[in-house]
Amino acid sequence: MGRLVTQPLLWFVFISLCVFILDDLIPDARDEIFVSNAQKDRIALLWKTQTGEDASTQELDSLVNNWVEEEALFREALRLGLDQDDSIIRRRLVQKLGFIAEAQMGSEPEIAELESYYSQNIIDYTLPLRYSFRQVYFPDQASADAQLSQAKLGKDISSTGSTSMLNDGYAFRSELDIDATFGSGFSTKLTGLSVREWQGPVESSFGFHLVYLTSIHAEEAAPLNSVLDSVGSDYQQFQKMTARRRYLEALLDDYLIRYEAQ
Amino acid sequence: MTRLLSLIFIASINVSCSDNTSEPSAQQNLELAPEETVAATETTGARTAGYNEERNAYFGDLHVHTMYSFDAFIFGTTSSPSDAYTFAKGGKITHPAGFDMQLDIPLDFYGVTDHAFYLGVLREMANPLSEISKHEVAAGMSTLGGSIQRGEKFSEILAFLRSPRANEVNDPVIGRSAWEDIIATANRHNDPGNFTAFIGYEYTATYSDGGNLHRNVIYRDDVAPELPFSRLDSANPEDLWDWMDANREQGFESLAIPHNSNGSNGSMFMMTDFSGNPLDGAYADQRMRNEPLAEITQVKGTSDTHPALSPNDEWADFEIMPFQVASFRSSQPNGSYLREAYLNGLKNQEENGANPYKFGIIGSSDTHNATYAGDEDDYWSKVGLRDSDGVRRGSVPLREPRAPGENYAETYFNTWSASGLAGVWAEENTRASIYDSFRRKETFGTSGTRMRVRFFAGYDLPLINDGDLISKAYGNGVAMGSDLLAYADREPEFIAWVSRDPNSAALQRLQIIKGWMEDGEAREEVYDVACSDGGTVDSITHRCPDNGAQVNLDDCSITSGLGAAELRANWSDPEYDASQNAFYYVRAMENPTCRWSTWDAIRAGVEPRPDMAATLQERAWSSPIWITPVQ
Repeated sequence: MGRLVTQPLLWFVFISLCVFILDDLIPDARDEIFVSNAQKDRIALLWKTQTGEDASTQELDSLVNNWVEEEALFREALRLGLDQDDSIIRRRLVQKLGFIAEAQMGSEPEIAELESYYSQNIIDYTLPLRYSFRQVYFPDQASADAQLSQAKLGKDISSTGSTSMLNDGYAFRSELDIDATFGSGFSTKLTGLSVREWQGPVESSFGFHLVYLTSIHAEEAAPLNSVLDSVGSDYQQFQKMTARRRYLEALLDDYLIRYEAQ
Repeated sequence: MTRLLSLIFIASINVSCSDNTSEPSAQQNLELAPEETVAATETTGARTAGYNEERNAYFGDLHVHTMYSFDAFIFGTTSSPSDAYTFAKGGKITHPAGFDMQLDIPLDFYGVTDHAFYLGVLREMANPLSEISKHEVAAGMSTLGGSIQRGEKFSEILAFLRSPRANEVNDPVIGRSAWEDIIATANRHNDPGNFTAFIGYEYTATYSDGGNLHRNVIYRDDVAPELPFSRLDSANPEDLWDWMDANREQGFESLAIPHNSNGSNGSMFMMTDFSGNPLDGAYADQRMRNEPLAEITQVKGTSDTHPALSPNDEWADFEIMPFQVASFRSSQPNGSYLREAYLNGLKNQEENGANPYKFGIIGSSDTHNATYAGDEDDYWSKVGLRDSDGVRRGSVPLREPRAPGENYAETYFNTWSASGLAGVWAEENTRASIYDSFRRKETFGTSGTRMRVRFFAGYDLPLINDGDLISKAYGNGVAMGSDLLAYADREPEFIAWVSRDPNSAALQRLQIIKGWMEDGEAREEVYDVACSDGGTVDSITHRCPDNGAQVNLDDCSITSGLGAAELRANWSDPEYDASQNAFYYVRAMENPTCRWSTWDAIRAGVEPRPDMAATLQERAWSSPIWITPVQ
């Protein structure tokens, strides 16, 4: 037995065993870079979306190795504070936080919320003065005058004009729309015309038009149900902005802000 | 801490929402509004109010640069994509030189297309706090001065871009942040039924000899890949198409639109692929799958045809920009113009069994001011502080003192043009409907005014005065951008029709341009098919008589009472041969009006510059119809 105790090789084996066991029991003082299977999968997927093919075992090993190196460099850069004075990194982080703030804006809006938003911002959903009318087009004034006389005798003149790329009727057209279609100044000539009778001829860039105004629609708010989609997306945008602002306000409350004297 | 804050702030939002208890005023308005208001103002089910089975003409610009483009930023443009969309909808924005820019009539659709490489980067270089501002190529970016200095910086960045170090400043973090803003902004401004905002960008590659291979990539939907594919990924457009094909499979539907082929020195429409191989079926399929359209006109000139290519076309000399893009090197016409590409496509069809050049036509501006640039009498040109007035763009003499013999600024801006509008025929003003018209090639381009052009071919087409013309033409024929099969015993009929821009000059003549293959040779012919002012087409020369319309160069007024509101024709080809490969497209011409340079001169109180055209005839081009011959 005594001989065994003085055997250096045995001592060596014994100590090695202890170190080996202890190594598992005592945590390593060094930082750890842990490559999870999920991380490996992400790396493999990224490779596939970029190249269209599965990474081979060799490629994957090399990609994982690259990731480990990048992670080490990244941590070292952070440790050296290289992120501190770079406005692009600052802005990107702030942007990301902004998205997080926006994402916390809650569930789908109730209809009552939309109604309230809509009425508070009614100016955005107000339609301008618009006209609905039928028109018959003549290249020359004499034919237009002649057909107007016929119309006044009660004849149906709606198919008497020249064919053109213009429509027979226009519904709910703003003055800007009308001037874009017939030439500037045409909408002004519609002011003062009475509804539900053939009138004119009204001159345009094309020629002469007999016009039958079916209705004049005064400036008015678009009914909510007709603009629900845009109210919804405007409200969502508004909520995002609000969420950002509130998040920021809450954050600023945690800070004492001092300015150096001039 | 964060979690606690989040909880607090969610709670506070809920409180604020329930605070809003004021009675909505909608109820009252609902009673006042007639029932049909609902239908006429917004979406009814799947269709918007303007839906028209016979299709409406919509006008737009698919080539717009904002502060995120490296060059636009150097030129002084600080307007954002949101500013640009606001402008397109009728809003007012400010030019870097300080004046306001606004459209008389808003556009129907619009796409911001910033350069993909260095996306947003130059703007960051100008920020002295950013890391990238410390790069040597960023020197002076935060203190850019006058137009000469800006021109020099532009050249310096271009040289750096072409150097092996180009990637040093192509920061993907900056690029991604700009790209996310571009996507979100287009989605926010898109308004189905009223205004369509497309997501897009410019792929700005150059060929080995410097010829431009520029394309705009336009997305159909509200999503796009994480980062755009740029010249720094590959200078070979075939790689762009591979990338677009791969993305299409993942749900990112897009198309690319080549532009400034005129300045490409023959590289845009080559007769070989990038590696020098013949253009085979696979190449033609991929090119047409990804590039169904081309830009025929924009500020940097018109690419219909060139006098050297079409010596018998009296109107070929229109807004020709003779240089390679952003240089004074001349650009060779062969391989650089659309009409020749159509002819070469037919030739390739006969020689290699595939036509890679069967694209439709649009125009767009290429503004770098985040606006538009197609109005002769309200012209802003397109490169910010470098060409913001007549003196800088060469239409007005340099101010005293000036060197002897140097009367005008030596720039290439004087070869530029107030031009570029895209027209489409679509059922309604939505992304899906307008994008479908791109895919169908039912599109046309104009030099800036809003002429509307229809073009059909078929058998048993209606007469042009038929009250039901359009539905019968769609029913019995095909529209612009399509193919028509030839029959051995029947001749195709054509309907060409143009309606004037009510806010521009009246129409002078309507033409059909034919290109065909005869005994292995490419041929072309221009036919007038309808004349204004009672003129008739001469059966031998195929020309209308001159209608005598003039422009008074003292004040730009035009002869009144001349020109037509509409021109249209039933036409058949007097030289038709059912065994030939052929294409036909429409060109419609307005009466002459003042060119932007003349407007500049009149406003400055000087004579128009003698070596620049004083007037021009605004025009529109339809996409072609191709006849597939009897085998």
